[in-house]
Amino acid sequence: MIEVVKGGVSTTIQDLGRFGHYHIGMPPSGAMDLFSHKVANALVGNASDAATLEMTYDGADLRFEENGVIALAGAPMPAELDGEDVPMHEAVRVEAGQELETGFTTEGARTYLSVSAGIDVPEVMGSRSTYTLVGIGGHEGRTLQAGDELVTGENGAAPDTVVGNTAPEENLPDLENSNVLRTVIGLCDYRLTDESREQLCDVAWKVTPEADRVGYRLEGPELEFVEREQPFGAGTDSSNVVDVGYPIGSIQLPQKPIVLMRDAVTGGGYATIGTVIGADRSLLAQRRTHETVRFEPVTVEEALDARQSVQDDLAAIRTAIER
Amino acid sequence: MATEHLAAPMPGVFYRRSDPDEPLMVEIGDDVSEGDTVALIGVMKNFHDITAPHDGTVTDILVENEGEVEAGQKLIELTIED
Amino acid sequence: MNGNRIERTELPEPRYEFGGDDHVFVELDEAMSFDANFQAMAITQQIDERDIAGVTEICPANASYMVRFDPDVIHPETMVEELKEIAAETDISEYSWETRVITIPVLFQDPWTHETLMQFRDHHQDPDATDLEYSARINGFDGVEGFIDAFVGSPHMVTMVGFVPGLPWCFQMVPRTEQLEVPKYVQPRTDTPSRAVGFGGAFSVVYPVQGAGGYQLYGRTPIEVLDVDQQLPNFRDSMVLPNPGDILNYRRIDREEYDTIREEIEEGTYEYAIEAVEFVPDAFFEAPHEYNEELTKTGVSSS
Repeated sequence: MIEVVKGGVSTTIQDLGRFGHYHIGMPPSGAMDLFSHKVANALVGNASDAATLEMTYDGADLRFEENGVIALAGAPMPAELDGEDVPMHEAVRVEAGQELETGFTTEGARTYLSVSAGIDVPEVMGSRSTYTLVGIGGHEGRTLQAGDELVTGENGAAPDTVVGNTAPEENLPDLENSNVLRTVIGLCDYRLTDESREQLCDVAWKVTPEADRVGYRLEGPELEFVEREQPFGAGTDSSNVVDVGYPIGSIQLPQKPIVLMRDAVTGGGYATIGTVIGADRSLLAQRRTHETVRFEPVTVEEALDARQSVQDDLAAIRTAIER
Repeated sequence: MATEHLAAPMPGVFYRRSDPDEPLMVEIGDDVSEGDTVALIGVMKNFHDITAPHDGTVTDILVENEGEVEAGQKLIELTIED
Repeated sequence: MNGNRIERTELPEPRYEFGGDDHVFVELDEAMSFDANFQAMAITQQIDERDIAGVTEICPANASYMVRFDPDVIHPETMVEELKEIAAETDISEYSWETRVITIPVLFQDPWTHETLMQFRDHHQDPDATDLEYSARINGFDGVEGFIDAFVGSPHMVTMVGFVPGLPWCFQMVPRTEQLEVPKYVQPRTDTPSRAVGFGGAFSVVYPVQGAGGYQLYGRTPIEVLDVDQQLPNFRDSMVLPNPGDILNYRRIDREEYDTIREEIEEGTYEYAIEAVEFVPDAFFEAPHEYNEELTKTGVSSS
């Protein structure tokens, strides 16, 4: 068992996500930075679908009641286990009674903590991921607080076989310099004026403090829509379309862009104008408030190549661990 | 007498009230005790308490209420009696 | 008005658009129509039935649909080819589907939505009227009563579910000339009571949970459309009540009945009035009013 001593600003339990329910308005949830979640799990010998803690900006402090192994991945975060430094991206042994104290991320926004065999909370609709909006999944459907008690799974890898595992630096993203989001332009982009469509990919957009698991709200120039007589059912404002489903990663335009993330609103009447590709959604999840991002138009083939390259990095990390 | 600056541990918005209808948590000249919450940093609709590390007096507030702050930015000056 | 047919809409060539490397969005029309929605419904049902490897989400929307898939299993271009093939084989004139008529009791002009809408008059087109008074006026009704009569007079089809879990968008099952239409609030509200029944554009909605919203507010239902704890008997299989393709039949109730039903909901004893029906688009197009009467009659007899 793990006792939460301090919850941090926003710490939730996440796994790969909840699928098959988008059509009733249920977003997938799951780790925002899926890559780091998978790395954290690989380091301690877990399968990718084991639940980890997603800690945002600020870490959680935890007391371990059992022996086990933990690893931190993603945004660099200072951490000490009974006063001993815990390095990032390395599997570390914990003993019953030890306490982990964490600080604030020094770059990036989200740090993942894995424990051997994963955090064991009941699955809701096939996933342990927390979706706070309606309060389901994770620990009581909410962010962790001091006093919460978490149970870990059974049949984790034997500590001696995984302690000391590390992930090679060259296969990890450079969070500080990853501000380019490759984007497949499309969906309802015909609603934008030519000038605004160009502007979308020309300017640097600033991440606002409201950016969260639902969506990354960005600040920048106001984009303009083509004037038209609104079609039946679309509503009166020129930013409105007849309500559509929103892809995860899609950029919707109330006026300023919002990139929809893993707790997305699943549909609505704002024009969507493109979709950040799967490979780069993890990078966006690590962008901090006030940092900037740029959209770079790519084709679907390029998006698939990027996806392959992320998978190659993960495979390289797994190979390094197994060696 | 020594002065100490309380800094933002993360980027976000600096709040001097816990709620728009509440009074300011501290003003210049106020005495505070160790552990008192003197301000909040908000990000993603979540909040982090900025607390006084020692007993002391607030001698300066360097950011306007609801101003945007970067990680490490100085927020409040605290003067501590020796 | 009986005998008024639904005019069929000639749909343009669908637009197939990629949403990153893992979604395909298909716009069937820019405008809302039964043809566009039924086409979305029929195609998504066919995708589901084909059980295509790699498909993870199938989402019909008002006049479009979206599919999410694992590109490691199915290439995006192959996905589009599959969808085009299904579309070519789907003819809604020869189509029907199993659905449900769900009775939604509504207390119109209830005190809760009234308090909220009065709070947000400065966000509204007409600060001196209530949302119902405004909607009645711009739709050419003499008063609120006539407007409510029209609102409950014919059932509404759930053409899409989303935004948040359990929120149904519903399109009233009447010819275009009888369809109600109202703009959304000029500025969205920051608050809406849970279970509020609203209307915006050409769609009625039921807000599952308290929160922001921009639709005109008409009333409140005592019944839940979302039960995350799945305590109510009708939510054993799913925490969400409405599904795309369901038919909602709004029924006007008074305060006394509202309180009685609310009490039963809170005790977990309320039995939702849900009737399984077969929906035949062609028959509906031919004689919508007679068809609706048949649909809702069976609904009433079972409650």
